[in-house]
Amino acid sequence: MKGLLAARASRYIGFFALLGVLALSACGRAPEPLHQEQVLAFGTLVDISIWGTDAASAQQASAAVISTLNALHHRWHAWEPGPLTEINTQLARGGTVDLAPDQIEVIRGAQALSRQSGGLFNPAIGQLLAEWGFQMDERPADVPPPHPDAVKERVALQPAMDDLQLDGNQLRSRNPAVQLDFGAYVKSYGVDQAIAALRAHGISNAIVNAGGDLRAIGQRGGQPWRIGIRDPRGPGVLASLEIHGDESVFTSGDYERYFEFQGQRYQHILDPRTGYPASGAMSATVVYPGGGVGGGASTALMVAGPDNWLEVVRGMGLKEVMLVGADRTVYLTPAMAKRIHFEIKPEPKTVIGEP
Amino acid sequence: MTRADWLVLLLAIALLPVLYTKYWGAGGPADRARIAANGQAPLEIPLSRNQQLHIHGPLGDSVLEVKDGRARFLSSPCPGQQCVHSGWLARAGDLAACLPNGITLSLQGARPRFDSINF
Repeated sequence: MKGLLAARASRYIGFFALLGVLALSACGRAPEPLHQEQVLAFGTLVDISIWGTDAASAQQASAAVISTLNALHHRWHAWEPGPLTEINTQLARGGTVDLAPDQIEVIRGAQALSRQSGGLFNPAIGQLLAEWGFQMDERPADVPPPHPDAVKERVALQPAMDDLQLDGNQLRSRNPAVQLDFGAYVKSYGVDQAIAALRAHGISNAIVNAGGDLRAIGQRGGQPWRIGIRDPRGPGVLASLEIHGDESVFTSGDYERYFEFQGQRYQHILDPRTGYPASGAMSATVVYPGGGVGGGASTALMVAGPDNWLEVVRGMGLKEVMLVGADRTVYLTPAMAKRIHFEIKPEPKTVIGEP
Repeated sequence: MTRADWLVLLLAIALLPVLYTKYWGAGGPADRARIAANGQAPLEIPLSRNQQLHIHGPLGDSVLEVKDGRARFLSSPCPGQQCVHSGWLARAGDLAACLPNGITLSLQGARPRFDSINF
């Protein structure tokens, strides 16, 4: 009798093992309180994911994010007439501008990051960006790149963030060539404000992804959020990582904005030292706790390329960095190597750089 | 355990890696396309049925094509045409975006592999 029971039990083990395996294939299908929305805001595609709230509150919260981002977009737009173009007009005239507290915060923050990056992140080169036609929503096709002399001239004027002098709330520039264009840096600022808006609505599990610059807080139903980092030369995901708590993941890439002229590709991240598009790297990703430095750091790393990336890592105090070089070699800091998971086969060649 | 039990157990274990790669593995097969357009709830369509979709964006209609288990931007009214140049998407996690027209196309496996993609 005992033997018969044991035999029966063991038969069930086999049955349940199979059942378990089959259940694996279906367990991801259960409906869950996940609200996902994608909107054009902030001049890019913004992806909002909110977990664990009812649909109506999630919708309200994401509406708050969208209006926050759109207000910031106007406030910091580098070429559509607005507060920043007014500042730039005054700086070019050698005049003085009264700044609001948030403007002081952004400009001071950008100055500090520019210094830490050894000037590789330089949001004072608005003139150069305009020369290249990157200060347009859509650069028309078949417009040639600027004449080398024009580029040389702009670079020789050496606009730098340290040319700016803040006296109380009064801003002026020693160098009339300074024209501010905060690019990706203002995206980090925007994403941080968006997360603050979500928290103000009682949301504690969310992702705000502004065209490749994201911050994630909390989890997705007890599971960490999973983030894919795009392959710079393909439609797929190069690598992925899981978010611990509150972290930002910022990626800059040469594929984000570029134009082609006579078969040559020109991307939008300019090396302020040469005035030409940075060419050492295809993409740069920075992961760090909380908000802050993201956009400035990923831009500086793109400019630095594989030759100088570790100087930027040290100067900016970064811990987790992944740089995809122009030959597709992947450069990783040790802390990044520990948590990143490659999603392509064969895995790319990697180089670990000790900061 | 009888021989049949062992067989069932072995089969179950042998199936594990197959299911694992199918649903969790790197770039596994996709069964759905997820289309997200500006301000609209994302749309998920099966890859098993060939069809063309006209998705409306601020610049006009982008045409998306699903064919033989793959999906792509067939045409888009954007000046850069980066989305069209992305070509066919075939594996879970693949993504093409038309930023000017506010439309993204991504492929999904049984469980979305990524909650968000840095593009």
